[in-house]
Amino acid sequence: MKKKKLGVILASVLAAGTLLSACSSKDSGTSEQSGKSGEAYEIKWYTIGTPQKDTEKVFTEVNKYTKEKINATVKMTQIDWGDWVQKSQVMINSGESFDIIFTNGTSYVQNAQKGAFMEIDDLLEKEGKELKEVINPDLLEGNKVDGKLYGIPANKEVVRQDVYTFNKRLVDKYKFDLTKVKTLQDLEPMLKTIKENESGVTPIATFKAPVRFDYVFNNEMPFAFPFEGETDKVINPFESDTAMEQFKTMHEYYKAGYLKEDAATSKDSWPMDVENWFVRMGGSQPYADLLWSRSAKYEVVSVPAEEPTIINDSVSGSIQAISATSKNPEKAMEFLALLNTDPYLRNLVDKGIEGTHYKKNDDGTIEDLPARIDGYNMPSYSLGNHFILDLYKEDPKDKWEKFQEFNASAVKAPSLGFKFNSDPVRSELASITNISKEFYPALATGSVDPEEYLPKFNKKLEEAGVDKVLKEIQKQFDEWKSSQK
Amino acid sequence: MKRILNDLNKNRVWLLMVLPGTIWLLLFSYLPMFGQVLAFKKFRIDPDGFFASVINSEWVGLDNFKYLFSTNDAWIITRNTIFYNLIFIVLGLITAVATAVLLSELINKRLSKIYQTSILFPHFISWVIGSYFVFTFLSTEHGLLNLILGWFHVDPISWYNESKYWPFILVFMSIWKGVGYGSIVYLASIVGIDRTYYEAAMIDGASKWKQIKHVTLPMLKPLMIILTIMNIGRIFNSDFGLFYQVPRDSGSLYGVTNVIDTFVYRGLMNLGDIGMSTAAGLYQSAVGFILVIITNYIVRKVDEDSALF
Amino acid sequence: MPKLEQTQSSLAIPKSAEGIKGGEAHIPTKRYRDPQHLHPAANAIISVLLGILAFTCVFPFLYVIVISFTSEESIVRNGFELIPKEWSMDAYRYLWSMKEALLRSYGVTILITILGTIISVFMITFYAYAISRPQFKYRRFFTFLAFFTMLFSGGLVPTYIVVTQFLDLKNTIWALILPLAMNAFYIIIMRTFFLKSVSESILESARIDGASEWRIFFQIIFPLSLPGIATVALFSTLGYWNDWFAALLYIDDPNLVPLQALLMKIEANLEFMRQNMDVAIMQTSLFDTIPQESAKMAMVVIATLPIAVSYPFFQKYFISGLTIGGVKE
Repeated sequence: MKKKKLGVILASVLAAGTLLSACSSKDSGTSEQSGKSGEAYEIKWYTIGTPQKDTEKVFTEVNKYTKEKINATVKMTQIDWGDWVQKSQVMINSGESFDIIFTNGTSYVQNAQKGAFMEIDDLLEKEGKELKEVINPDLLEGNKVDGKLYGIPANKEVVRQDVYTFNKRLVDKYKFDLTKVKTLQDLEPMLKTIKENESGVTPIATFKAPVRFDYVFNNEMPFAFPFEGETDKVINPFESDTAMEQFKTMHEYYKAGYLKEDAATSKDSWPMDVENWFVRMGGSQPYADLLWSRSAKYEVVSVPAEEPTIINDSVSGSIQAISATSKNPEKAMEFLALLNTDPYLRNLVDKGIEGTHYKKNDDGTIEDLPARIDGYNMPSYSLGNHFILDLYKEDPKDKWEKFQEFNASAVKAPSLGFKFNSDPVRSELASITNISKEFYPALATGSVDPEEYLPKFNKKLEEAGVDKVLKEIQKQFDEWKSSQK
Repeated sequence: MKRILNDLNKNRVWLLMVLPGTIWLLLFSYLPMFGQVLAFKKFRIDPDGFFASVINSEWVGLDNFKYLFSTNDAWIITRNTIFYNLIFIVLGLITAVATAVLLSELINKRLSKIYQTSILFPHFISWVIGSYFVFTFLSTEHGLLNLILGWFHVDPISWYNESKYWPFILVFMSIWKGVGYGSIVYLASIVGIDRTYYEAAMIDGASKWKQIKHVTLPMLKPLMIILTIMNIGRIFNSDFGLFYQVPRDSGSLYGVTNVIDTFVYRGLMNLGDIGMSTAAGLYQSAVGFILVIITNYIVRKVDEDSALF
Repeated sequence: MPKLEQTQSSLAIPKSAEGIKGGEAHIPTKRYRDPQHLHPAANAIISVLLGILAFTCVFPFLYVIVISFTSEESIVRNGFELIPKEWSMDAYRYLWSMKEALLRSYGVTILITILGTIISVFMITFYAYAISRPQFKYRRFFTFLAFFTMLFSGGLVPTYIVVTQFLDLKNTIWALILPLAMNAFYIIIMRTFFLKSVSESILESARIDGASEWRIFFQIIFPLSLPGIATVALFSTLGYWNDWFAALLYIDDPNLVPLQALLMKIEANLEFMRQNMDVAIMQTSLFDTIPQESAKMAMVVIATLPIAVSYPFFQKYFISGLTIGGVKE
């Protein structure tokens, strides 16, 4: 009896709550209409990077320009590097209303499949004609999920090429011949010399032993297509001889003390400007050595570790997607088109205000002023088209041409454009992810003996259903392949 | 109807007092519970916001649960959660009571106070800070433990990589943080014990040890029982910071550090799998709920005043 | 017998609450060497044992302080030494160079801690007091309403939606305060406290004098319950001071980031770099944001210091509050 009465109260309070929510959603409805009629629409844009002090100042300028050009203003919010994954995940899942969001890699694919992003093929056709012409077609093709495009990739290098980068001072000192370096194994004599003679230097600035395959997810997960031979058949790369060989070499290096002891788990990021390393590994681009030497304040020199290749990962490194919750996707697309084609806007968003954050020289090159480092230090790679960015005074004049050449020189990976839908095997994938997280870092940094641990790893993978996943990948891949023709 | 209004009017004052809290509970606790239905759905984002997404997502029945329990993870996280909590309860009880008894017996009261203040310190820091503390000891490069190992020419250990040490580290840290608080709860109770019991014991010629055994501990028994039972009721919940921040989210330790709470968190944040992580959360709540109902029933038998409802 | 003891101690509450002075276990002192006291040797052993325990509890903090004063080179070369070969103030100089951001974070933390504690103490004590009164007809329902939330939570995403979309609190100080303002567990503690420490007879006489329930609450209950209230206040102070998660979810504005969240951010950014070396190498600005080891430790020191110096003063309220609340966390 008593309970019943309380039920009534509770119900009425809940009803009040719903009413409240209804009111608030009505509010957003009105703002939508004002956006379409005359008044400038405010585009909400979330992107990655440490929030900057002068963002507001710069965007006052941006808004003056966009208001005139496309009758819209932009509210850009940066989310710090380390918070990005978690925060964007919650924002997207909660269906928060915003227009544009930075995304990349697997999270782009997952969220596109989940319906978080808008299909933009039509929009691009309508509002972004000129944009479509500018962007490298490999980027647009490579980022299609189930045949549809869900975001605008940043037009830059589309190629992945890992290089070994050396500390040039040490290379010169011991007169190493870098032209002989082709493989991980070739490093051995140099590492030995360094270890014996340079006490303050760690020979290897921790990197993972390269096992060259075309990975479906990332190089931690045991699903990949070979670059040579049967390129249409997905396999577990950790069962290959290459993996064993590379991990073994790495383990020898580890035992010889060429790597730090905690290589597998250390959070050490090996900043360039600390000269305590001899060789490192990383993705390259034209004139990367110049860039690195500049930030390191001493010279570095690189040698390719592989051929330049276009893989799924390298085309999806930086994408701006339009949210499915956008109130005005046309405006969002207009803005993205403008940002990627208009040099003034692109440079303004990237470098800040001329005269405040940077100065322009007579020959058209630019130089950062202290205010840029201090108040508007933006990550270029995440923001958009690189080829319309002003060059720095120190940049080679043909930098962007070299980028284009670099892009043209690459080979395409077998699975470029194939996006796996993991729903049918998600329980297997969940446990495989955990197993890989457990074994891969230790193996790839040589921290454990592959003779013992690699078979263990593979056995665990088998128990977790790696074969079932491989089968599913193969099935979807074959379907995709036949639809391509 | 009139009676209802009359009743409400009579309880006006009390209702006003609970009003702010009730509004809070409805907004922050009950309204979000709506999201639990996601455990039975395949989540797809709808452009009209979250509620539309929840409503329009396809029902998949128990698929998310099937998925959860078909992985090894379900077993591992359940095992870890229960195993650690059991150890925490047992060792926590022993260390807290022992420390409390020792503190109460100390002759120098000034010293006793200094000790109390010191052991209470860890209770006041967050696990964010705590993880830095642990790092100063376990850092492979710079940490104190490896420095000490170095003195004895033992090879450094990669602590954040070796799962075999972590059960001990986690138990140690849990006790480290909890012993101060626990012992002070018991100490407060010891202080409240009527002195005449001790005097009577002394007249019987009981030694100090006998006094502890026959007076102090029996007097603490009800409190020990209540607290322990309540902890058992919460055995399915674990201290998120201890299992997430202290091991620095290190992948190679997941086997021994993954508990239900961290699993739910990672499922949502890293995999974006809202259905499965909701299912795991619901599993935790449901089992926890049953445990608490049982616990409360037992508590009520032991001491009605301490029962929760 | 235990039952008897329980009621005894609950009756004796106001007395024993006073009896605990300065957190000290107050045992009537008599002459030494009677059976009530320990043998000096036993006492010595216990003193040492407890001394080790006490030292273990505070040592990490002292160690972190030492590290924060170690020169970075010395750390790289020799690790975290107990007595560093090279002392240095560099870490604190570094913090001084970012004093604006730090001070702002400090300010945010202090503001949310004070405001939040006040709000939550009022909400919790009102609620707990009401459900502890036998005159309140619906007390069982409201007790259950609170209790139920200890077990079933709505989950992260729905809560996020309530805060950001219904209440529109994103990037406001309230997003850091309101989600933590109530806690069913504290309500239950306070309810137990009121049940045990407030006897109906005092209230009856006040009611006969014609005092309203509100007056009774503020003039009689509140002062009488100070130890319990202090305990809950301390709990929520700690909760606010140590929270970082609300900031992760609800705050984009760098001006509203509390201290602990700032510390978390540093670690999170490091982790990001480690996993995205390619981005990190191209984006040299990323490295600039990462402080060195000693500077991180210095931040730990300044985030812990206010708590470390202030809790001993609250300790006595805390302890007497616990005595009566009689519930463990």
